[in-house]
Amino acid sequence: MIGLKASLLREVRRLGSRKMYICAMVLVPVLCALFFVSLLEPGLPLKTPVAVVDLDHSSMSRKVTRTLDAIETIDVSRRLESYDKAVDAVRRGEIFGFFVIPPDFESDALGQRTPTLEYYSNMTYFVPGTLTFKGFKTVAVTTAGGLVTATLVSAGADPAMVGSLIQPMTIQEHPLANPWLSYSIYLCPSFIYGVLALMIFLTTAFAITMEIKKGTSPEWIATAHGRISVALAGKLLPHTAIFSIVGISIMSLLWEYCHFPVSGSLWWFALAVVLFVMACQAFALFIVSILPNPRLSFSILALTGILSFSLTGFSFPVQSMYGALAIFSYALPVRYLFLIYVSDVLNGWPIYYVRMYYVALILFVPIGSTLAWRLKKACLKPVYVE
Amino acid sequence: MNPFKYIGRWFGKLGEVFAREFSIVTHDAGAMLFFIGLPLLYPIVYTLIYNPEVVRQLPVAVVDNSRTPESRELVRAASAAPAVQIFSYDANLADAKARMASGDVFAIMEIPSDYAKKLASGEQATVPMYFDMSLLLRYRALLGAMTDLQMKVMQDVTAARVETIGASGSGMTSLPVKSESNFMGDTSDGFASFVIPGIVILILQQSMVLGVMLIEGSSRERRRRNGGIDPKMTDNAPASSLVLGKALCYTVIYIPMALYILALIPRFFNLPHIGEPADYLLFIFPLLLASAFFGQTLSFFAKERESTFMIAVFTSVVFLFLSGLTWPRYAMSDFWRFCGDLVPGVWGIEGFIRINSNAATLSESARPFLAMWGLAALYFITAWIVMAYIRKESRTRRVPADTPNTDGPSVQEAR
Repeated sequence: MIGLKASLLREVRRLGSRKMYICAMVLVPVLCALFFVSLLEPGLPLKTPVAVVDLDHSSMSRKVTRTLDAIETIDVSRRLESYDKAVDAVRRGEIFGFFVIPPDFESDALGQRTPTLEYYSNMTYFVPGTLTFKGFKTVAVTTAGGLVTATLVSAGADPAMVGSLIQPMTIQEHPLANPWLSYSIYLCPSFIYGVLALMIFLTTAFAITMEIKKGTSPEWIATAHGRISVALAGKLLPHTAIFSIVGISIMSLLWEYCHFPVSGSLWWFALAVVLFVMACQAFALFIVSILPNPRLSFSILALTGILSFSLTGFSFPVQSMYGALAIFSYALPVRYLFLIYVSDVLNGWPIYYVRMYYVALILFVPIGSTLAWRLKKACLKPVYVE
Repeated sequence: MNPFKYIGRWFGKLGEVFAREFSIVTHDAGAMLFFIGLPLLYPIVYTLIYNPEVVRQLPVAVVDNSRTPESRELVRAASAAPAVQIFSYDANLADAKARMASGDVFAIMEIPSDYAKKLASGEQATVPMYFDMSLLLRYRALLGAMTDLQMKVMQDVTAARVETIGASGSGMTSLPVKSESNFMGDTSDGFASFVIPGIVILILQQSMVLGVMLIEGSSRERRRRNGGIDPKMTDNAPASSLVLGKALCYTVIYIPMALYILALIPRFFNLPHIGEPADYLLFIFPLLLASAFFGQTLSFFAKERESTFMIAVFTSVVFLFLSGLTWPRYAMSDFWRFCGDLVPGVWGIEGFIRINSNAATLSESARPFLAMWGLAALYFITAWIVMAYIRKESRTRRVPADTPNTDGPSVQEAR
């Protein structure tokens, strides 16, 4: 195609001329990937600091404390004398919850006066709060169960039958694809590719609007013999190549080096990553075409990129959001990559179920290019508004 | 020189810098967007995203191989939980899995064929349940519902069984020990109530840092165009008064924003807000000051307006994780905990959450409070060094090779 080669060469030279590009396109995504992998490396946070408030000091209450010690998600780091002191420790951030054994617990329990074990979990931090709650609940239930067993056996029941008495029905949990309940497996891929999407947005906008800011855009269009499609292909394809390599390198970090679980096919996911890179570029191109000046397009893309971490439902599900907001998640390429990751790589469902997400990623490219004529107009008469 | 005269002159310059910076900020639409628009809008948008608080009515598929009144009773009891919605009865596990693959259901309950028999014969019945793990929040909600279901079946069945095995003399008809769970802070156990008090602090810090970097980036561009001098700024001011004057200007602009974000937003959306305003408003002051110096320090990397976005925006995600909101800080390695210690917002989030949601007092939040003052001092010094460097650099290197300004486009200064 006339001018394509010249445009490509021109862009490659521009990419090499500024350290900013290597920083934004390679260093930031790769370092962020290493950051997430390293930060979340333990998978599940163990040893949440908690306290026990033993107001009974009986052999039974000490047994409860020992049971608490044995729970791996919590760490009974403090033994406190009163409820008030425990609340103080929570406010200071020293503990995330506490377990209260009431006075006369042992004698009330044996005398069937039904004492109450109270436990407090500080839910202001979600993960430690939840783990504390779960650990405390387990101990409360096993304590009750142990007492039932002891009483029934002493009343003459068959010890073999007692187990099914306490729990006539159990739910056997099968957390598919993530039996370790690892936070890393579920947070790392989505957030790392979220950062990649953000950097693609910004780099695309930077590469295009800097031409306008510096007044080099007429020359850029001229290199492509006046055809905006060629000019854009020449400018953006080198970026596509670099970002795709970065995206696939991150895959090798996650699934080869860190051994994240793979149930499906990584080849399909690699294809999705390449399509995702192009979809993000197209998204940014669309915004730049509407607002062809650096300040506004950068602001919009930065705000969208940051909001997409919340809006695409990495932590709070899209299905539970208000419909008017949830609909925006489908305008963001990273949503489809996330769904493909979950379905293909994590759960290993056949690719048939995510075919539409691939189509959606592909559709970003023609839709994103529809306003390129506006961009051309802006490029031929560059005006920089500070 | 007379030291008193010097001090007097220094304060004079400080006032001048403050006034000039105020004028620069108010005339820069981009900076105003970050200083005013972002803190006004982002808290609302974020709260709206998370405002449904809890996940409810999660679709679940049932494979009932028992097909007995007991198994139907179990499904009825399960569907009574707010988190559960029985989406379908499927003939076998393969059909149910296909539904899960299409994203119609997030869990499958498979009732074994001997379920009723085991219940009747006093054995323990096991019910396998398969969870989709794409989001831990859904798993958590469903798991909670299933634990309650186990308890309910136990209450229904155990009393009857105790009678049949002839141990009724024990008087054991219910559990000998009750237990009571209490949630502190976020009593509704909701997602917005947990995440918003932390996020708003990060919004305060990051919007200020981005705005400051934008302003400094523009200032450096002006310096390059004008032989090392920023015509909009008093250039003969000592670097220390320049840094402090600017920081005071940003802090003053942010005081109404902090009031809005910390006092009004939790009330608008009925999020937890049991802290004393006097406590959290005093607490937030060093955060604003430290963020202003932090932004000026990071301006070292902002060579022009646009580079700010390239290097600063992604840090919001990194800081969010360093803050321990998602992954607790006690579980981080020493290195990452240390990195978090260097971010003012990380301390701000910790202290504000305790004050706002746990009703801690300022003295109970002394550690984060003092840490932020420490960071303010640290970043004041680094900002001072950066400012001295920028002035020196722009005087020696007038026009760098990568910014051809000859034949540039017509520059319109936005008013």
